[in-house]
Amino acid sequence: MLAELKELWRFRELLVSLIERELKIRYKNSYLGFMWSLLNPLITVGVMTVVFKYLLDNGTGSLSVYILAAYLPFMFFQLALMDSAQSVIVGLPLIKKIYFPREILPLATICANFIHLLLALLVFFAYLLVVWIRHPQVPPFTATIVYLPILLVINFALATGLGLIISALNTFYEDVKYMVGVALYLLFFLSPIMYFSEQVAASSAAKANPWVYGLYHLNPVAMLATAYRKVLVAPQEVVVNGVKHDPLPLDWGMLGVTALISLIALVGGYHLFNRMKWRFVERP
Amino acid sequence: MSNAIEVHDLRKEFLVSHSGVGSVKTLLLWWRKRQLEHLEVLKGITFEVPRGQSVAVVGRNGAGKSTLLSLLARVYKPTSGSATVIGRVAPLLELGAGFHPDLTGIENVYFNGVVLGLTRKEVEARLDSIIEFAELKRHIDAPVRTYSSGMVARLGFAIAVHVDAEVLLVDEVLAVGDMEFEQKCYAAIDRFRANTGSILFVSHDLDAVRRVADRVIWLRDGVVEMDGDPVQVLDHYIKAHEGLLEG
Repeated sequence: MLAELKELWRFRELLVSLIERELKIRYKNSYLGFMWSLLNPLITVGVMTVVFKYLLDNGTGSLSVYILAAYLPFMFFQLALMDSAQSVIVGLPLIKKIYFPREILPLATICANFIHLLLALLVFFAYLLVVWIRHPQVPPFTATIVYLPILLVINFALATGLGLIISALNTFYEDVKYMVGVALYLLFFLSPIMYFSEQVAASSAAKANPWVYGLYHLNPVAMLATAYRKVLVAPQEVVVNGVKHDPLPLDWGMLGVTALISLIALVGGYHLFNRMKWRFVERP
Repeated sequence: MSNAIEVHDLRKEFLVSHSGVGSVKTLLLWWRKRQLEHLEVLKGITFEVPRGQSVAVVGRNGAGKSTLLSLLARVYKPTSGSATVIGRVAPLLELGAGFHPDLTGIENVYFNGVVLGLTRKEVEARLDSIIEFAELKRHIDAPVRTYSSGMVARLGFAIAVHVDAEVLLVDEVLAVGDMEFEQKCYAAIDRFRANTGSILFVSHDLDAVRRVADRVIWLRDGVVEMDGDPVQVLDHYIKAHEGLLEG
C-alpha cells in the first residue's frame, strides 16, 4: 500500500488538474453555475423548516440552522458517493489509453465535492450572521467551532473509503449504484437531519433499553450529523410538540468509534480498490 | 547502447464473458458456472528496442499488436513476463482521447499535458509552441466540441510531440490532417528520431512503415513470426498475405 501511496503522490499534479476540471465542468453550461450548489440545500432546508416548524409544531429555536448544519455535510456525503460510483466508468476511455493511478478518478470527484462542502460552509456562516441579526439572543459562533476540522477529516475519510469501494464495485456490477442510492435514502432517515438526536434519546425505546441511543450512533453518518450540530450551533433546548428536551453534550467516545470506522473504511477501501484497479480496463 | 524498451516472455490473457457486463443478478445466479473463456492474446514475446530505434509492428487484426502497445503503456498488467519502457513515454494511442468537449482548447492542453506527465508549469512553457504547431490560434479559447475532427487530431498530436518523451507509442496515427500537416507530423517525427527518441508503432499502412521504421516485428497469433530488416520482413509478410488471398 505504501508503494501505491508513493505512486499517487508522484501524480499529485494530475489529481489537482482533475479536481480543477471537475469543478469547471460541473456548472459549465448552466446559467447560475456554482449558485446551484447553494440554492439546492437552501431551498430544501427552507421547505423542511416550514414543514417542521409550522406544520409539525417543532418549537426549537433557529431550526433552519440546525437542519442546515447536518444537511450540508450529508449532501456532500451523498454526492461524493453517487459521483464516485460513476467516476471510473466515465473515465474508462481515458484509462484505456494511458496509465495513471486509477484511484485518482474517484479521489478527484470526492475532493471536488469536498470543496463544494467547504464553500457551502462559508455560506452557512454567513447565514448564521443573518439569523443572529434577526434573533440577537442566539450567538452566531460558538467556541466549539475549533473542532470542525476534526469532523471534516473524519467525514472526508469515511466518504473516500466508501467512495473507493463503491467506484471499484460499480465498475463491474452496475447494480451497485442503485443499491447505494437506496442506502443513502435510508441513511437520511436513520440520521438526525430532519429531527434531533435528543428526541431519539427521549424515545420510549431508548428509555427502556439504554443501548438504543449508542446503537443509533454506531452509524457513522448519524454520529457525524449529531457532532456537526454540537460543534457548529450553540446548544439549545429541543422543543417538539411542547415537550422540552435538554441538549445533550457531544459524546467524544462515540465520535472516536466513528473515527475508527472511517479509518477502517479508508484503509480497507483503498486496499480493495488497489486489488481491483488493474481489471477495470479488462471488464467483460 | 542502452535500451528504450525491454519485453521479456510477455504473456497476456483476457477473460471473455459471453453474457456482457456483469450484474449482481448474474453474479448470484451463475456464481459457479460463469461463462468465461480464457483468450490468450500474447503468447510469450521477447524483444528489445535500443535507444533511437524506430520499430514497426505489423500483423493481421487480432494478432496482439494493440494489446502489446497497451501493455507497454501500462494500461494492462501482464499475465506473466514483463514489458518495460525506460524513460518518459508518450502514447499516441488515440489522439485527443482525454479531451473534454465542454472545455476550451487551452484547458484541454493543460489537462492533457499533465496526463502525459508534464507539470502545469512545463505545459505553460510549451503552450505557445503547441498552439503554433496545431495551427489553432484563432480557436484555442473555444470549447473543443466546436472543433472539427481534424482540429482535434492536430491538437492531440501537437501536445504529444511536445511532452519531450523518450519513447513514442503509436497506434495507427502517425500523421494526421491534410497533406501539409502530414508533412509537419513526419518532420516532427524525424526530429524526434534525430534526438535519439525511440518509436514503437503499430500500423497497417505499409508505406508509413517503410518511411519510418528501422526494423519491423511481425506478430502472428500472439507470437513473433519474424523480426528484422524492414525490407526483408515486409517482403515475407506481403507474400504470406498474397498466399492467403490466392488460397
